[in-house]
Parts: sequence; C-alpha cells; structure tokens
Amino acid sequence: MDFIIGGAYQGKLDCAKKRFGLTDSDVFACTEADGIAFGARCIDRLEEFALWCVKNGRDAVEIMRENRAAWADSVLICEDIFCGVVPLGADMRAWREETGRLAAYLAAEADTVTRVFCGLEERLK
Amino acid sequence: MIVFVSGGAKNGKTAFAEDIAVRLCGGGKRFYVATMIPYDAEDRARIARHIEERAEKGFETLELARDIGSAAALGGADGTYLVDSVTALLLNEMYPGSFDAEADPSAAERCRAGLARLTREAKHAVFVSDWLYSDAVRYDAFTENYRKDLASLDRLLAELSDTVIEMTAGIPVVRKGRMP
Repeated sequence: MDFIIGGAYQGKLDCAKKRFGLTDSDVFACTEADGIAFGARCIDRLEEFALWCVKNGRDAVEIMRENRAAWADSVLICEDIFCGVVPLGADMRAWREETGRLAAYLAAEADTVTRVFCGLEERLK
Repeated sequence: MIVFVSGGAKNGKTAFAEDIAVRLCGGGKRFYVATMIPYDAEDRARIARHIEERAEKGFETLELARDIGSAAALGGADGTYLVDSVTALLLNEMYPGSFDAEADPSAAERCRAGLARLTREAKHAVFVSDWLYSDAVRYDAFTENYRKDLASLDRLLAELSDTVIEMTAGIPVVRKGRMP
C-alpha cells in the first residue's frame, strides 16, 4: 500500500494519478455521508471516512484492519488536518483525533509514505 | 532566480524572504511589493513603520495591491522583487471594491497570469505565501473557495520557482532546489 498525505488542495490526487498511472475510474472518494468502499485501486479523502466514523460511532482503524486484504495493494490518500487550533466543536475534535489515529495506522502499514507540499512530493518512508 | 516561501503564520517568512532578496540582488535595485491595502489609521501607521524598516535594508517600496504582473515593468527588469504576500494579493483581486460585494470569480486566473509574468520578467523574485491547508475546520463556501484558489497560486509558484522553502519556527526547510 502506498500512502499519500498533505494539506488541502496540494495536489495529492494528481501525485497519485501521475505516479501510479491511475485514471478517475480507479479512484474512490470517501464521503462524510456514505463513508468508505473497498475495491478501488485508489481510495481518496480518507479524512471524510474518519468523519463518517465519528458520526456513526465507528472505529476507522478497526474497519481498515478488518478489510486489510482489500486495500493492501491500493493507494490511500488522506488530508493533513492536524495543524490548526484545537476545534471548538466536540465532533470536529473527535474528527481530528480519528483522522490522526487513522493516518498513523496507515503510515505504519504502508510500503511508502509521501507528503505533498504545493505539488512537490516528499518521500517520508 | 525565483524563490517561493510558504509556511504557517509567525514563522519568520517575511524576515527570511527579505534576507534572501538582499542576497539575490547583489547590491542592485530591490523592491518590496507592498500588497496590503490600509483601511484605517492603525494600518497606515504600521505601513509607515514597515517602509522605514525596509529602507534600512535598501528596499524601495512599490505599492501594488493588484495587477502584480506589471511590477517589473514599473521597477525595471534588472530588479529584485519581494512579493509579500500572495495571500493578500488574491484577496485584493477577489474584492476590488468592498468585502460586501461578490468575490470576482476571475481573480485567481488574473493572479496566476500576473505572477507568471513577473517570474518571466524579473531578474529575481521572492514570493511569500501562507499555509492555510492543514486544519480541522469546515469552512463556509467563500473561505473554502479562497483556500482552493490560493493553493492554485502556491502550486503554480512552486512549479515556476527554482527554490521552494517551507518556514518552520524561523528555520527554512528546502523543498525544491537549493538555498540561494
């Protein structure tokens, strides 16, 4: 699994498409409303999946662990939402926490970890 | 040489960018492209103080809240231009009249064209932007749109720059190229 992380609008998905030769049809984008689906070569917006987990009382890391075989060869993308002020709303705090746990788990499991900054790739692992 | 500097607030981006511009200009003309529009007496006093401080480093101030592409035409192609900040520039182009009006949807495109032109026409240029992309906040549509547009400017500048620097606590981290 290849894990890509970076701030909003920094070119994470472009980086994934270019490096792994992906097209739009290879990419599944998680949403706050519907969570995640497995099977795509690339799963984008994992931070939205984490928010879905918060809203539905689920554990993101546990769900990923249970479905490990389904994403073991995928490209996973998550937004870095960790540098702002502690959010005032309890939901948003829980979201940040859940996304952080998820990102740490995935970075540990990944073969490669890449951070994207202004379209520039930096290999972290 | 074109240098792009980004990073969080209060990390020493401006002071670092000034030093880089001084180093690059090699004693030649250096311009501080002032992008801030003063709205009250407090703003004007702060700007007057900044102009004085920068004069000590040999900068001439070029007041250019909009139309950044014309900077080198005004100051000359052999000059060194410090643009601080891209963040303000985009805001000025989005709201040319007042903040109560609708944002101009072509602002980002105009900024991209102007910034690209300055990178072509200036001998040296240093651009400063702000890192607004890593917090856990659901913004309103206007703010979200602004972040997205600013990121498109940042990414263009990173692509066009010889050197990209991320500032953290006053420490420059080279993300592309080499330290000038």
